[in-house]
Amino acid sequence: MRTTRTDFTAAFMRSFVIQGSWNYRTMIGAGLGFALSPLLQRIHAGDPVTLRRAIERHTNSFNAHPYLATVAIGALARLERDGEDAETIERFRTALRGPLGALGDQAVWAAWRPLCVLSTILAFCLGLDPRLAALAFLVVYNVGHIGLRYWGLKVGWRAGLEVGRVLNASFLRNFAARLTRVNEALVGSALVLVIARTPGVEIGPSEAGLVGAAALAGFFVPTRGGGVAIALMFVALGLWWI
Amino acid sequence: MTGIEITSGTWLLVTTVGVLLGLDGTTWLQTMASRPIIAGTIGGMLFGDPVAGFLAGAWLEFVTSRHPPFGAARYPETGPAGLIAGAAYALSDSASILALLVAVLAGWTIGWIGTHSISVMRQFTVRLVGDPRVFAGDPAELARRHRRAIRLDGARAGLITGALFLPVVFSVRWIEAIAPGPAGGTPTGLVAAIALAGLGGVGARVLGGRREGWPPFVVGAAAAAILVWIGS
Repeated sequence: MRTTRTDFTAAFMRSFVIQGSWNYRTMIGAGLGFALSPLLQRIHAGDPVTLRRAIERHTNSFNAHPYLATVAIGALARLERDGEDAETIERFRTALRGPLGALGDQAVWAAWRPLCVLSTILAFCLGLDPRLAALAFLVVYNVGHIGLRYWGLKVGWRAGLEVGRVLNASFLRNFAARLTRVNEALVGSALVLVIARTPGVEIGPSEAGLVGAAALAGFFVPTRGGGVAIALMFVALGLWWI
Repeated sequence: MTGIEITSGTWLLVTTVGVLLGLDGTTWLQTMASRPIIAGTIGGMLFGDPVAGFLAGAWLEFVTSRHPPFGAARYPETGPAGLIAGAAYALSDSASILALLVAVLAGWTIGWIGTHSISVMRQFTVRLVGDPRVFAGDPAELARRHRRAIRLDGARAGLITGALFLPVVFSVRWIEAIAPGPAGGTPTGLVAAIALAGLGGVGARVLGGRREGWPPFVVGAAAAAILVWIGS
């Protein structure tokens, strides 16, 4: 049966809770099945056996970046509508996992979110009311967030089996690399400005080198030792204070 | 130390906000209202000091950013943590640098407690939805179990926030009141700046992107330092 705008809207809305039942066995498998349900129920209307098999298929182990999971929702629904066989769908589903995770992590967690966070901190340090800064963050960040989910669903549905090629040619491919350069400059400014904005902090021009050295020392702490370094710094501060 | 009054209604409000922010972290919406800068600001706003809340959130942002949520990595849960840290700093007696550091340390610790509570919760979630055969292909049963898992996460976030909010607020105030002060007459403001710079630097690399990104990091920091000195 032909899918309707309402089915896509329901699937889109459900994508916001796709990680609702994240678990170590099937990860977002159940969430994917939950989000796909409105589309599957329409596509396989009147055929309960095929619907049951489709639900079982899509609640199996799956993982992706939550925002880009809509690409999988759209593409898998398209395959179901086109009547692809179970084996093709399963292979396609497995092939999608890696790229959707890696692309989303790089574009969203490593680039878009830090850009929004750092810009918000800078805006606050330059005098913007914290409530307005927080509100601006939520609006700007979520324009990107919701836009990406919507784009993903559209691209997935239109491209179907060809979605990998479309993703490769999309803006996401170089998005992270471009933003990373901006973030690298912003993070230094944000750190200095937030130190200057913190009550009780006093730095004279002659002591700026010490503060800068501490920031660089923290910057070069090995990735694996980050948590230990933070804990040690808190312990040292406590001992000094007491 | 001046007194503060927290009614059961206020506690309930904080706990409810903690539930929403805890859900936002992973299971529901992911609007990033659960980021420390937002959660901290909300915590500060609830007690009349959004600036203090934002500052606690900003420092918690730097500290927790060292653990990005890539792949299957574990990272601190920031929603309830930011909320409580922001509220605790806003409720501190003198908004001192010590109160800020204790609030951020508490937030960081709560973040990791939250992460462990998520791991425990997922043992229950796997029983709910971990085997596709339990749905028997029924969309209604799938929806019922999926929603139950979301409610479980909400209850977990509520438990964390409700149980830790008051102890953290009173710990920050108590430490502020009893701490004898920095040793050896060292300049508090400078040591605090060095400590914050070190803590911030640890998170800065991940927020910025790469280890090789240190030259733009230094340039950005120098530009901001010049701006601060011109301003002062």
